[in-house]
Amino acid sequence: MTTAVQTQELAPIKRIRDMPREEYYVPGHRTCAGCGPALQYKLVAKAAGPNTIFVGPTGCMYVANSSYLCTPYAVPWIHAQITNGGAVASGIEAAYQVLIRKGKWEGKLPNVICMAGDGGSVDIGLQAMSAMMYRGHDSLFICYDNEAYANTGIQTSPTTPYGGATTFTPPGKLIPEGKKTFPKDPPQLVIGGHPAVKYVATASIAYPVDLMNKVRKGLNYKGPTFLHIHAPCPKGWKFPEDQTIEIARLAVQTGMFTIYEWENGEYKYQHRPQQYKPVSEYLKLMGRFAHLQPEHVQKMQAFVDAKLKAPGMPVEIPIPPPRDFEAMDLGEGTGTARH
Amino acid sequence: MAKEVMISGCAASAQAAKAAKVEVICSYPIRPYTAVMMELAKLVANGELDAEFIHGEGEHAQLSVVYGASACGARTFTGSSGVGVTYAYEVYSPIAGARLPVQMMIADRTLDPPGDFGSEHTDAFCVRDMGWIMGWAEEPQEAFDNHLINYRVGEDPRIYLPQFVCQDGYFVSHIPGKVVLPDQSQVDEFLPPLKMDHRLDPKKPISHGPQIRPDQGDALELARAMAMNEVPKVAKEAIDDFARIFGRKYSPFVEEYMLDDADLAIFIQGAHAATARAAIQKLRKQGVKIGMAKLRFVRPWPTEAVAEALSKVKAVAVVETQTSYGGATRGGGLMFEVCTSLYDVPKRPLVTSFMAGLGGEVVKVEDFEYMAKHLTKAIQDGKVCKKVHWIGFEPD
Repeated sequence: MTTAVQTQELAPIKRIRDMPREEYYVPGHRTCAGCGPALQYKLVAKAAGPNTIFVGPTGCMYVANSSYLCTPYAVPWIHAQITNGGAVASGIEAAYQVLIRKGKWEGKLPNVICMAGDGGSVDIGLQAMSAMMYRGHDSLFICYDNEAYANTGIQTSPTTPYGGATTFTPPGKLIPEGKKTFPKDPPQLVIGGHPAVKYVATASIAYPVDLMNKVRKGLNYKGPTFLHIHAPCPKGWKFPEDQTIEIARLAVQTGMFTIYEWENGEYKYQHRPQQYKPVSEYLKLMGRFAHLQPEHVQKMQAFVDAKLKAPGMPVEIPIPPPRDFEAMDLGEGTGTARH
Repeated sequence: MAKEVMISGCAASAQAAKAAKVEVICSYPIRPYTAVMMELAKLVANGELDAEFIHGEGEHAQLSVVYGASACGARTFTGSSGVGVTYAYEVYSPIAGARLPVQMMIADRTLDPPGDFGSEHTDAFCVRDMGWIMGWAEEPQEAFDNHLINYRVGEDPRIYLPQFVCQDGYFVSHIPGKVVLPDQSQVDEFLPPLKMDHRLDPKKPISHGPQIRPDQGDALELARAMAMNEVPKVAKEAIDDFARIFGRKYSPFVEEYMLDDADLAIFIQGAHAATARAAIQKLRKQGVKIGMAKLRFVRPWPTEAVAEALSKVKAVAVVETQTSYGGATRGGGLMFEVCTSLYDVPKRPLVTSFMAGLGGEVVKVEDFEYMAKHLTKAIQDGKVCKKVHWIGFEPD
């Protein structure tokens, strides 16, 4: 005797005042003032509602959130290792499939959301995330991206931008730009090689209604879905804690972060500026980029320009032509060191 | 109706998982355990077992998947061998600490290097202190039975601990033996469905595995230790009940074989106990008063049962089928706990150890005769000549 597994259908939210009143991410955490990841957690939990299970791989949203006896989760939550969020989420989804099928639990399939940081998503957690996407589990993997290993003291992660100073990429005489490599692109990693995935989107805490609707859309899809959520970190990025939203918005306005949906192979863009601002407008607000020389800023601008021209981005934007920095004579002490 | 079949240890484990109606299985291939997953995959594909069969992307994922599934209250099954066991190391403590009754079958395999398919217990011994119940089977029937007994004990509300159900690679995992497959009604009577109040359920939200302060740590560690301390009592109940329902009676922790009048004892676990029995029968015919104490649980270690069995004799040979490089005896890991168990015994026997079966080498009847010779000499001399003998590498 088996029971058919029913899934939930979450309605879109039209305006900010139509948001549900109920909170499922409640006081009890001890994140920093102005924490972007905590704000996105609140929005995600609100959008997902009560029939939800969160998987929390190690990261800021574990260490700073889940203090024994006063965790902020009003829905079931389980710690995962930083390595295995996708695998633990897979096990939870599989368990509910079989428990519902066998009549051992009554109700619609819970939303299973893995809330992983950038390290837990595309660095040490990449294998487990990819396998969850490949196997087709009906669950949502969120990469909340604060662009560093923040709770351990701001070390570089694969999504730390080029030129970002972290405690593992300090600028110095030989390495003036601090971080020399360009970041991984989490949504493209998912889109590129996981045929079971039909919905991938990016979102920013600067656009909360868009973010919540993407959470709901991702949850409504049967099968694995992926959200990449940009979540500024005042402590790690070194900006005043009352500017989190402005920084997040400026990331979108400069093209440092792009907001889009990829649905059944089609790209759709949201909050695309008519004209992108120069990345220097964004970089100058943060202490992590304070050491950058003009040539580093140019290199960053060229990277962003190229990204904005990438497939799925059919936009005409006024951008300076990329320059060949390898061939450039940058002069003494301006980043000619090779490593 | 119960029926008798000739099947390998891996097939017996798969049949036990089926009989236990496991709900979430997570696989990853590595020899020799992998045959159990091949069997289970067929059972699921044919509709004989209603379970989610998940292809993990590695052993670390296998343990992670069953961690998540068990936390929801599903009965779970996974397994591995050799370096697969060690690759998953990170996840063993979180499973035990979350008090999740996951079950993992281990068919032993020597750790690298070099690549060696042979059975050696070092893989499982590496993870023996993670808070899991652990024990070895001697042959496929015992493997089948241990799976059911371990589910019953691990899922008991007084316990809620995960279990390693071990068998030697190839010697048990791939050599067919007689196995009585019980009637499903017997299994259902013995093994009730898993019930867990601490499961992840949106109708009753809980947080699992939050951060603690260092000063909160010792109490939680004590709680884990106390759960493990309860295992002997619960295991004895389960094994008695097993005998009532299935008609096979196991000594719960240490099986004594011809020990009552013995001067010498072989202390051993796993497949090579079968050869030890044959050797003991042969030696007895020659007038050597020798017996065997077979260890059935390594965790929790049956301190009293080991002391009781071994204090009957004058000299003990501990058979070490794993390594503890640089350890107190410069040999294997069983010696530490055997000697600790005997420390307070009024008439302590002489104890030495024999490194045997390493890399999957066969432990032969002659090897046990060699052990008996050394024990006899130790009794004559009133002391052991050394604490570790490497079988096959010594002049005498």
